[in-house]
Order: sequence, then C-alpha cells, then structure tokens
Amino acid sequence: MNIASSSRPQPGPSLVHRLSRAVAWNAVAPPLVFAGMLLVVGVLNANYLGPIGISIATASAAPIMLVALGQAMVLNIGSIDLSNAAISLFGTILLAMALPSMGLGAIVGVLLLLTLIGAVNGAILAYTQVPSFALTLGTLGILQTAALVTSGSETIYVSENRELVTVLYNTRLASIPLTFWIGVLVAIAYWAVLRFTVAGQNMTAVGKNERGALLSAVPVRRVKILAFAISGFTGGLAGLAIVAQAGSASASGLGSALLLPGIAAALVGGTSISGGVTNPINVIFGALTVAFVPIAIQAIGFGAQAQSLVYGVFIIVVVALTTTRARGLVIK
Amino acid sequence: MTHPIPPVLKLTNISRSFGPIKAVQSVSLELRRGEVIGLTGENGAGKSTLLKILAGIERPDEGQMEINGKVVQFRGPNDALKAGVGVVHQEQSLFTNLTVAENIEHQNLDRRGLSRFGLQDWGRINRDAAAVLDKIGVRLSPKARVGDLSFVDRQMVEIARAISVVSTSSGTPLIILDEPTAVLERAEVEVLEREILKLKKFAAVIFVSHRLDEILRICDRVVVMRHGALTRDTSTTGITKGELFNAMVDETPVQVSRKRAAQARTNTPALEVRGLTSAGRFRDISFAVHPGQIVALVGTNGSGRGALARAIFGAETCDAGTIEVGGTPVSHWSIGRAVAAGLAYVPAERKVEGMIGGYSGTRNIALVHPGQGRAGPFLRPRRMAKVAQDWFDRLDVSPNDISKPLGQFSGGNQQKVVLAKWLNSSNLKVLILDHPLRGLDVGVSQAVNAQIRAACANGTAVLMIPDTIEEALDLADDMLVMRDGVISATHDLNNTHDQHALKDIVAEMV
Amino acid sequence: MTAPTADRQTPDMRLILSRLRLGPVGLIAALAVLILVFSFLNPRFASIENLQNVLFQVSVPLIIVVGTTLVIQMGSIDLAPEGIMGAAGMAWILLSPNSRLDSDIGLWAWPVALGLGLGLGLVTGLIYAKLKVPSFVVTLGTWYVGLGIAILLYGNDLLPSLTSEGLARWPTQVTLGLPNSFWLAAFVLAGGVLLSHYTHLGRGLMAIGNNEGIARSSGMKVDLLKIAAFTIAGVLSALAGILATMQLGSGSPDIGFGQLFTVIPAAVIGGTALSGGEGGVMRSALGVVLLVILNNGLVLAGVDPDYQSGVFGTLLLVAIIAVAWPQRGRLKVAK
Repeated sequence: MNIASSSRPQPGPSLVHRLSRAVAWNAVAPPLVFAGMLLVVGVLNANYLGPIGISIATASAAPIMLVALGQAMVLNIGSIDLSNAAISLFGTILLAMALPSMGLGAIVGVLLLLTLIGAVNGAILAYTQVPSFALTLGTLGILQTAALVTSGSETIYVSENRELVTVLYNTRLASIPLTFWIGVLVAIAYWAVLRFTVAGQNMTAVGKNERGALLSAVPVRRVKILAFAISGFTGGLAGLAIVAQAGSASASGLGSALLLPGIAAALVGGTSISGGVTNPINVIFGALTVAFVPIAIQAIGFGAQAQSLVYGVFIIVVVALTTTRARGLVIK
Repeated sequence: MTHPIPPVLKLTNISRSFGPIKAVQSVSLELRRGEVIGLTGENGAGKSTLLKILAGIERPDEGQMEINGKVVQFRGPNDALKAGVGVVHQEQSLFTNLTVAENIEHQNLDRRGLSRFGLQDWGRINRDAAAVLDKIGVRLSPKARVGDLSFVDRQMVEIARAISVVSTSSGTPLIILDEPTAVLERAEVEVLEREILKLKKFAAVIFVSHRLDEILRICDRVVVMRHGALTRDTSTTGITKGELFNAMVDETPVQVSRKRAAQARTNTPALEVRGLTSAGRFRDISFAVHPGQIVALVGTNGSGRGALARAIFGAETCDAGTIEVGGTPVSHWSIGRAVAAGLAYVPAERKVEGMIGGYSGTRNIALVHPGQGRAGPFLRPRRMAKVAQDWFDRLDVSPNDISKPLGQFSGGNQQKVVLAKWLNSSNLKVLILDHPLRGLDVGVSQAVNAQIRAACANGTAVLMIPDTIEEALDLADDMLVMRDGVISATHDLNNTHDQHALKDIVAEMV
Repeated sequence: MTAPTADRQTPDMRLILSRLRLGPVGLIAALAVLILVFSFLNPRFASIENLQNVLFQVSVPLIIVVGTTLVIQMGSIDLAPEGIMGAAGMAWILLSPNSRLDSDIGLWAWPVALGLGLGLGLVTGLIYAKLKVPSFVVTLGTWYVGLGIAILLYGNDLLPSLTSEGLARWPTQVTLGLPNSFWLAAFVLAGGVLLSHYTHLGRGLMAIGNNEGIARSSGMKVDLLKIAAFTIAGVLSALAGILATMQLGSGSPDIGFGQLFTVIPAAVIGGTALSGGEGGVMRSALGVVLLVILNNGLVLAGVDPDYQSGVFGTLLLVAIIAVAWPQRGRLKVAK
C-alpha cells in the first residue's frame, strides 16, 4: 500500500479516473511502482539493496518473470493460460531426469516438448472454441499428474551434467544470475516480436478485437496456437531456471507455486486481462515487483507473514489503477 | 369537434437534431384506441429516432407529447413503460435462459407485488403471464424456456411483455412494433398479423415496416416519413403502393450522377456464384459480377443479403452451391483464401467487425495488404507509416494522424480507413460492401462513393448492400432484389432509362 | 443482421441434445454407472462406512460450490474461496477452544468468522461492481488477502488444534444415518437451490449472466446483485473453512488447498457455462458428488492418488469440448 501510494503523482477523489484516462500511465506505471518500492526499501533499510539483496531478489524473480512473459503473450491475445506453470514444473522434472544421460540434448528436447504441449493447448482452443480458462484448468490437472507420476512424487537430483544448467544460476553478471538475464533477453525478444513482426501484430490484433481480426483475414487459429506455444516454450525456460537454481526437481518443490505469481507479475506489469495490451519490458518490472514484495515487507518491518496480504491488495490496486473503463463495456 | 376520450398518443411539433442533422422535424401525429397505423419511410428517414423518443430513449428538442391526454416528459425507458408505451424492438431483448413467464413479468416484479421480500411467487407469475398470453390469444406455455422458442414465438413473448407492462398503467396502452416482420417467414408473418388485429381491441398500435403490402393489409392508416418529417398521413383505403413509394422518396429523383461509364463486360466474371444455399438464410442464389461492374443487393434486413455477402467472403459456411473467382471454382472457402483470391469485405458493423479500434490507422491499413510494409515475417514500420500517410492524405482523413487509435476517429473517417485497408492491394478483384454509407454524412458518403467508383474503374468488381435504393441507383449497374432468401428480381440499371418506373418496380419487390 | 437469422433455425437438435447429454439426467446416470463400476471393483466401496466417508468428504466442496455457481451464473469467476476459507477457518479456531488457549469466545467465534468471509466477499463485490476491475483479478487479490489474514492470525505460534471434544467430533457424528457435515452441506445446498429458483436475486443473476446489457436497460439493480452474489459466496466460503477446520481438528492457512480445482471443474461439468446464464446450483452439486465419488472410487480401486488431478482435468476437458463441439467453426469469439 505504502509502496503504491509513493508512486502516485497527486492525490484526489477522482484519482482513479484521471490516472486511468492518461494513456501513458499504463506504460509507465510498472517501472514507477517498482522504483517506488525500491525507494521505500532504500530509505527504510538500505542494507537490502546491497549485492546480496539484489542477487536474491533477481534469482527468485527469474522463474516468475519467465512464466509471466509467457502468460503476458497469452493474455495479449485475450486468453489465459492457467497451465503454463504446470508445464514448467513438468519441464523441471523431465529435465532433471534426462540431463544425466542426454546432456544438452535434454535441454533442447524438453523445450521442444513443452512448446508442443503449449501448441496443443492452443490448437484445442482454436479448433473447439472452448473458453481458455476451463481448457487450461483441465490441462493444468493433467500436467500436475504427469509431474507427480514421472517423478514418482520424489525429488530428483541431477546426478551428472549438473553444471550444464547450474552454470546459468552460478554465473553472475553485476551480482545478477544469468537466469535473470535470460528472462530479460526473452522479454526484449518478445517485445520486438510484438512490435516488429507480422505475427506479433496479428496477436495483438486478435486481443484487441477478435472479430475484427478474423474479418481482416488474420489467421486467428494460427495466432492462438503460436501464443500458447510461446507460453509453453517460456514455461520451459522457467523450468530451466528452476533446475539451475535448485540442482534438482520435484513436483512439490521450488517452482510448484508459480502460476499465481506469474499472473500477478503479468498484471502488475501492465498487461490487460481483457487482451490486446502488453509490454514484455514492463513485465520485467512486474516480476521484479512481485519478487521484491517479500523483501520490501521485511525491510518495512512487517514480518514475512504479511506477504500474501500485501500481494493481494497490491494486485487489486495496480489493476484498478491501470484498467480501462469504457462506457457500456461489460466487465466479467 | 371535440372527442370525449383523449387520443392515446398526440405529438405536436416534435423535433430532434443530432448536430447539424435534423433527424425528426416538427412531427405531429394523433393516434386513437383501436387504431393500427403503419409507419414507413426509407432508412435514415427518422423513424427510429421518432420511436426512440416515444420509448423514452431519446428526448425531443422541441414539441409536446401527450399520452392518454396527459402531457409527458420521459426521462428514461422506464417512464415510457409506466405511461403505457410498450416497444417491441427489432433486436429481441429477452433473457433466453429464463422462462416465458419470467420474461413477460420481469419488469412487473417490484411493482405488482409478484416478488415479496425478494421472493419469487412462481404461481402468480405464471398465472399473470398466462393471463396476458391468453388476452392476446397466444398459445405458449408460461414455463417454456425462451431460448427453446422459435423466432416468431419470441416475438409474441416480446409483445406479451409490452402488453403486460403497460396494462398496469391506467388508460389505453400504446404498442409499438419496430419492423417485427423483417426476419419472419411468410407463414409467421400471417400469425403476427392476426396478433396485431387482436391488439386492436384494447390498444393503439404503431406498426413500423418497410413492406408496403403488409402495411396496406394490416393498418387502418399509414404515415410516411422522409428526411425527418411526415410527408403523408392517410387512410389505407384507396391508396396504392406506388403513391406511398413516391411519398417515401424525393419527388425530384436524386441526381443520379453515374459518373462512370459502364464497362464492357469481359467474358469471365470476377465473381460468380451458382446455387449457393445456406439453410435458413438463403437458397439457390446464382449471379455474376464482372470486372468493373457494380451490383447492388437490395432487400429488407431479413432477406438474407447480409448472410449471402458474408458467405461469399468465406465468413460463413454454405450448405450447397459453388463460388467462382475469376473463373476458378473455389474449395475449402475461408476468409484467408477469399482475401488471397482478391476479395475484400467492408462489414456493416464497422466498430465491431470492420476495424481494430485500439490499433492506429497505420496498423489497421497494414493488417491485410501490407504491400511494401512487410519483409518476410517482419514489419517495416517506416514503409507502413508511409503507406498509411498516403492513404490518409488521399482520402482526406481527419485528424490526419496515422498513429492515433482508430477508435478515436469519427465514423466517417473510420470508414475511410477501413476502405483504405482493402484498397491497398494491387490485386483487388471483388469488393463486397455491406452498408458502406451507414451513419455517414453527405460529404464522407461522396468521398467513399468516389473511392468505390475509382476501384471499379481499375477493374474491380463491386457487390454492395446499399442503405437506400437511391444509393443503388446512383452507383450500381445491376440490381438484385432479395426477398425471403431468394433473388426475386434482377434489373439492369444501365438499360433502364426511366428511373421512376424502376423505383416503382423495386417498391413492388421490397 | 446476422444474429436474428442465426436464431431462426430454432429447434437446433444438436444444441438440445448436448444440453440433455450434460443435463442432470446425464449426470445422475454417470453417477449411477460410477457407483456400479466401483462397487464391482471393490466391494468396500458400497459399504456404509465408505458412503458415509464420501458424504463427509463431499460436504466442504458442496458448500463452496453453491456460492461459486451463483457467481459463475452471472458470468463472473470466483477464485477467492481457498483464501477466504483459510482466513475464516483460522479465525474460528483461534476464537474457539483450542490448544493455544488464549482467545476462546465460545459461540461468538461463528459470527466473527462468518463475518470475516462476508466482509471479504462484500469488498470483492464492491471492487468488482463499482471500480469495474475484472472479477478474475479482484478474486485473485482476495484469495491472497484471505490467505494473508490466515497467515497473520497463525503467526509464528504453534498450530492451533481443537480441544473441545464435542466440536471436533461433530462433523463425523451421524444423525439419521448421515454425517453432520453432510447435513450442514445439504442445508446450504437447499438454501442455494431456493435462492436461485425462488428469489429475485437468484433469477436476476441468471438474467445478468444471459445479457447484462438488457438487464441494465430494463432497470435491474445490476451492481447490487453482483455485490450480493460475491457476499454470499464469501459467507459460504467462510462456512466451508470452518467446517473443514472442524473436520481436520486443527487450523491451517492452507485449509482450503485444492478446493478450487474441485469446485470449478464440478460447476463446469455440471453444465454451468463460464460465460454465464446457464446451469444451476443442483447441477454443480451433482458435479461435486461425481468428482468426489470418482476420486474415492479410484483410490479404493487401487489407483495412485497422484492421478486425481489428471482425472479431474481430463473430465473437465471432455465436458467443455462436448458442449462446444456442435458450435465449432462458427464465427465466434473464444477467449
């Protein structure tokens, strides 16, 4: 709460309206919110912003960011992917099992497989026109079972070829692990895709107005398959980041609760839940904000228990500030 | 002579303007109990604005409205209902997942104690609804789910609801039926006609329709609107359709500009359909459009012309028939294939279907035919901007800002960009336009028409669904009249010199 | 222009068929088949103890699904139950006789805990209806907030467990052959059915789900109904939280863990369309019973519990695809 208020330019009763009417607000809010949080932490307890603090925050932000980037690409076409965190969890287990025998091939293979799983999600959505919420809730369940069954409900330690992935976590660039930098690169790549490619233009068009896109000969089905495939692929990268950090994988361990932080990061990063608006660069800040909340709470002196509460309030406040409220629009 | 009972409806000099456009100009009208009047006029003649005023959706700028002798000023639809005005709209406004009785009594729940302490008294609701259905002589179960009913039955439910709501008020109810027959089959129309005659016993009815023969059959009086004013108010006995039609259209025929010389027809048509059929929408449609030719599809809303246009564009599936583009039969038809084959479609619902409102003019134009704006999978933003700027300049789009979201432009300027999106192709073979001038002012209409003509001069075949018959006469070479899903007549406008005779023919058809 | 013509092919047999297939008849038939098959696979399945056990397990999701269905019927979504359950369950146990022994207020624990759920539901509804934040986001937020309240109440202290023998045994005690938990759930369910069929509120929610625009223009107090729906859902989630805490005998912030993944598939399988306006409380309840029996039967048949979410997920997929199948290929927006 304190954090959010520090980024408000001016208080007032019609604040929500004035702010959400300004177009730029949507674009600048995510970095501002993050900067505001950094400021508060810096003022109250500068120790948390030292190299160790940054290293911890960015390490935990990396998988959230990757999952959130995939989610943002799906939200951008007006759908939602509830299964992408489960895809990434399944990926960690496959990766941990295949790395010893297959080495680098395991990474490539797992990423390909997860991309395919995402594409299958998209294909079912595109061809049967079921609501993506229910569809991906279904695949979420199936993938959870897949993760439990393949791992035998046990933690799988990467016995050999471990350094192939842990290097991504152990190598630091400006105190920040490579996994985080991978996320940044992916964000920039997705930003470029949305801005400079035909596919990206089509994806956003579908999110803004699916009927209009359909009647402008945008290949809507292909667009949906692509967006979900991207979500699967990015989920795979998140899985890679998790294995790199933990050196092991388990269906209930690190990375098993990424779905909600991922959605939260995408939303706090300025992605619209109704589609057509996202900026992957801002999702970086969304993920950083979400990963930084626990640290900020401790710095302020609230104690770790307040974390969930602050998360919840945070999501509502940020989305309430950035959401569009066109007249006559039905909000579901 | 004074009447002991005041008229059900008395309008005195009602006017309503939208900006410079006078939608309704000092309309005066009286309606008595037991009367059924027909209200007709071309699209844009002001009928719907007048109805909205009566229904409390719009407020008049000037004039006085009396219902059952009392002067009224509606602040909203509920006021109109309370005063006793029930409107059956063109688009049905029923809850399809609720029962017939619930839909009929829905607006009475609070008022008549049908729900006490928020509890629903199903027994009374069903009884009351059954009574209303009985009164208008409709045999429908009050417990049936509206979504399971046929279209005409739903219309009955709408009528019953209007009756039920307004009959709670004192005085004679006024029932307004807004083009209720537009989407009905002939047999269904007969059912509806019988209903209307029953309504006469206890209400006054305004029946809005384009179909003059229906009006002559059902109504006692007919009122014709043109350019927002009443041009004719007369008894239906002894008047012909021709006379009515002349009252609907301008006395001096539109200066049909026809600036375009008719092109010699090549042997291969740009578009040819044979026996095209879509169950419940249209059947056995065959016609051809040649390069450089403009064909107008005229007909009422329910005639199937909109569905036909969409089917040709691949947006809807057909059950039978063939489509040929440039002499080649198509298969597995889809929007993607249609566009690749050189088809273009400007839909009637511009904001929902014609464009991406959140995208800039640049992106909207680049969406379909990027021209130089793409290199493989990549966009070339500068080229895209240049292409968009060219079109904005050429079509005089205002404001001349290619990066502003298209949703923030006025309707006319949006339509210019929508056209630019499709015209930005070197391979445009067939241009399909559904109500291209809907809601546009004269200036923009001319600009749009000029673009259509220019495309035509370049050898594009045009298939258009015009708003008005004048629009068709102005632009088209051929006119196809659709009625009840079939092409009922074809006219070659180039070889028919007596435009007046033609209007009469078309009036007969529509 | 196209909409009315599309409506004209009225007795769309395929649509009616698909409704029948997934209607209550189909659900009950599916249940009967399941019970038969499982009894055949393992005779213990049909034993009195096991059936009582099933009813015991079914009661918590049954209470939640009533509220969730009301919300989904009006076209929104409610993700908050797990969080509200945690908050209310923790508040309740800390105010009841518990092993921490510091704050027992006796029966007053009930109104306080239920009031907590009511408050969270009310705030959810207000933010949704008045600030027009999508329900997905608001309830995602209240999920976290509820969880946060539970964690704060829990603190760093010991896990509180119920010390009142009577309270701890109440859910499993059998009255008239059925466990008390189930009686509570059945009572809520009956209330939900009455609410949705016989009140202005219940019918209004159906109307909103069918067409919010018409509902608004015909003078319905749409915002009020929306707020009411979320408030009811909040109270019911709180009640479910209390019951689950009683069943467990101790408090945990995660008391509601996994319920959402039973409740939403159950509602969808029962025929409650996520787009709103369809389905009903009773059908969702049948959906819950179906999923719980399926789970129970599979466990008794020797299937690893790990397969539970996979089976639920598959069933959900089959159900939604079966509903959507006749409509596929139409020019339609699928979110």
